[in-house]
Amino acid sequence: MKVIAHVAVNVFKESVRDKVLYNLVVFAVLLMSASYLIGELTAGQDVKIIKDLGLASISVFGLLIAVFIGIGLVWKEVEKRSIYTLLAKPMRRQEFLLGKYLGLVLTLFINVAVMTAAYYAVLAYMQAISPPNLRASWPAPATDPALLKAIALIMLELMLVTAIALLFSTFSSPFLSAMLTTAVWVIGHFNQDLRDYGATIPSALAASIARAVYYVIPNFSAFDVKLQVVHGQAVSLGYIGLTIAYGLTYIALVLLTAVIVFSKRDFK
Amino acid sequence: MKIHPAAWAALVVLFAAVIGLQMLQAAQPPLATPEGVATNLLYVRSPQVLRRATLSFQALLADIYWIRAVQHYGGTKLSKAPNKQYDVLYPLLDLTSSLDPYFDVVYKFGSVFLAEPYPAGAGRPDEAIALLQKGLRTTPDKWELAQGIGFVYYWWLADYQSAAMWFNRAADMPRAPDWLRPLAAVTLAQGGNRASSRMLWTEISRNADADWLRDQASFRLKQLDALDGIDFIQRIVDQYRARTGAPPTSWDDMMRAGLLRGVPPDPTGVPFQLEPATGKVTLDPRSSLNPLPSAEHPL
Amino acid sequence: MDAIRTEALTKHYTVGFWRPRPYLALDGLTMQVGLGEVFGFLGPNGAGKTTTLKLLMQLIYPTSGLAEILGKPVGDVAVKRRIGYLPEQPYFYDYLTAEELLHYFAAIFGYAPAERRTRAAALLDEVGIGAERRLPLRKFSKGMLQRVGIAQALINEPEVVFLDEPMSGLDPLGRREIRQLILRLRDRGCTVFFSSHVLADAETLCSRVAILAKGRLVAAGRLSEMLAFEVRGWELVVSGLKDEVLTRAQQRYHVTRATRLAEERYALELPLTPPPERTLAELVGQGAALVSLTPMRDTLEDFFVRQVSGAQPSRFSESA
Repeated sequence: MKVIAHVAVNVFKESVRDKVLYNLVVFAVLLMSASYLIGELTAGQDVKIIKDLGLASISVFGLLIAVFIGIGLVWKEVEKRSIYTLLAKPMRRQEFLLGKYLGLVLTLFINVAVMTAAYYAVLAYMQAISPPNLRASWPAPATDPALLKAIALIMLELMLVTAIALLFSTFSSPFLSAMLTTAVWVIGHFNQDLRDYGATIPSALAASIARAVYYVIPNFSAFDVKLQVVHGQAVSLGYIGLTIAYGLTYIALVLLTAVIVFSKRDFK
Repeated sequence: MKIHPAAWAALVVLFAAVIGLQMLQAAQPPLATPEGVATNLLYVRSPQVLRRATLSFQALLADIYWIRAVQHYGGTKLSKAPNKQYDVLYPLLDLTSSLDPYFDVVYKFGSVFLAEPYPAGAGRPDEAIALLQKGLRTTPDKWELAQGIGFVYYWWLADYQSAAMWFNRAADMPRAPDWLRPLAAVTLAQGGNRASSRMLWTEISRNADADWLRDQASFRLKQLDALDGIDFIQRIVDQYRARTGAPPTSWDDMMRAGLLRGVPPDPTGVPFQLEPATGKVTLDPRSSLNPLPSAEHPL
Repeated sequence: MDAIRTEALTKHYTVGFWRPRPYLALDGLTMQVGLGEVFGFLGPNGAGKTTTLKLLMQLIYPTSGLAEILGKPVGDVAVKRRIGYLPEQPYFYDYLTAEELLHYFAAIFGYAPAERRTRAAALLDEVGIGAERRLPLRKFSKGMLQRVGIAQALINEPEVVFLDEPMSGLDPLGRREIRQLILRLRDRGCTVFFSSHVLADAETLCSRVAILAKGRLVAAGRLSEMLAFEVRGWELVVSGLKDEVLTRAQQRYHVTRATRLAEERYALELPLTPPPERTLAELVGQGAALVSLTPMRDTLEDFFVRQVSGAQPSRFSESA
């Protein structure tokens, strides 16, 4: 157990020293300049746009980190052979893998947490400077705590993408892993369309293929409640609970597969 | 490569759990789509801005907006919400055709479903005509577009003068089919009559390349058949009234009088209705051919 | 109990994606290394030395056969606490300093933070890394990385140490330091298993060696038993040797080889008989002068070359 923690902390250290967290600076600058500029252009719509922009940025930056670091998590150690000395130590292969995973999740968590703080700071500022009648027209307050629901599901999405990137990292090169992980993410977002497609097309074979893909590929579109939350629509805790259960189960499945693949590998 | 049996078992269990949870989620009611959220589909209202912003991917973006337009139309049509709106249909189609002016189906689809009255369509024949005219500015010699404009005038606006003028213009265009000129003539002479409408719809059903357009045409033809059927049955009912001095109270009366052999069905197989007080023959309200074109609504 | 034991250890690879061919990297290796020995694992490049070490560290899995360390099958986690490993051309994490790396590895062994620091500092001193220990590893030269590698292999005071080419990348001073380190380890009772293709090191350090060629074990045992240490000939270096004298001498004294070192200066290899003193006297009588007379003994290199060039190729070789 403690071994996993040490590996995880090491991954975090690496991302810090690789200056990954500088993306937070970019995010903060982006959000703040956008909020200023947009305030000059539109009347009344700025809070919605800032909310949209903030959530989208948290998601995109997180995804970039999850994919680009995730695909190298195992591959880099194998390629550079630093894994040789590590595995000769009293460490099981699965401890190594889980440590790597948790390290990146930790990095992502800190990333998302800091971004959320900056996000709420900007929104609080907007809340403060907007006149009361404008505020009354908003479907939800600027510093709406329900935004956290969307962010929590974004974090879950990032954890799943990281697991998938890690799985590919155990056996394929970075370029291929990046392509595959991104492809799975894109298809997973169009999952709803796959399901509708399956219901409307006449060919039974195509419909069953579409439905099979719908069930197997992770359903990322279910993690996306940004639209509802920005418009102040209720998202039930039951829905969130079910989605979290789904996400965690899928993560467990992917990690187990990664452990199995990794345990059987020869490091040539 | 041996895999421990416990690992296999765990894999199978997790996989089943994933699929099970996915099914649970699919069974849940979908998340609320807030009103006015349809505008999210557009993001940008101005076609010029959009064209410049998308650089070299206009055709692709046109496809995406086309898909959105179709989904918006379909989703709104199927929706049971009380105040559903098709208000972004025209903007979506406008954006799509600005991105890719040669995207033919956009004009045809738009003209049909923009003009179709609410709740099946947007009920905006003016927008339909605007869209078709936009198409003509890009490809001035596409007879289908001119014919489409004529059709909107004919069918939805009952403006037979304009309809005939547009049918004539269409007939002048290259590769125009033979039936346009006679159609223009008939329209001018006796616009609104069933025969010319039947001719128009028959040609559309024969020449249309899209299923939904053919389906429209066969539906319209059935409606015309229903009107013919009503007239025919009505004449028989009037015979009964002339014979007995009062209208029949039911189809049984007519059958006992030997005037009918059975209950007459409309083209979809649903029996016609007989109003006992007035002897008027109408469609069953549950028939899918409702609402029939009537005197107020052009034939 | 042996420190290391293998029995018919074999590793088969399939090479090639479209038409996979088998490649036998290691063919039926059976050997034992006793506790406290310094064991040299020798062979030319590609003989299977690194494959054997990877099998022992369970970085790869054997096709057949078994391997044990300290009486337990390889890969046993408890045993890993008692061993150390230095891979060939090691690479460590660029972004850590030498100190941080050793702290990290010490943490994996479960040492408390204070103990991690003491051990790391002591080992870095022992391998000769001074103030550079605070620099990130990306700034280290090959030789320094090698020293760090040795330090991390010893962080847990192992009972058995596995070193793959420990001298590579080191200058002569460094090599001497490592030789002395290995001897110190032996004196502490540690078993040292190292692979090398530099025979001079093996000659000075090892009590027993094994020689591998083309995936097969061609010789194993005590050095003293494998080499005949008797003199097998003489090397006579003379100056002032004129050409005619040389040609005559080559026939008369059965000179096996004559190497020209400079103008009229030659190194002559002579058999055991006739005695070299006689040959020397006669050459001197013809105007030559003695530079040196040295006995030739069978070296490990000669033995090695003989064994390796005589080795049969394994059942499936690369060219098949």
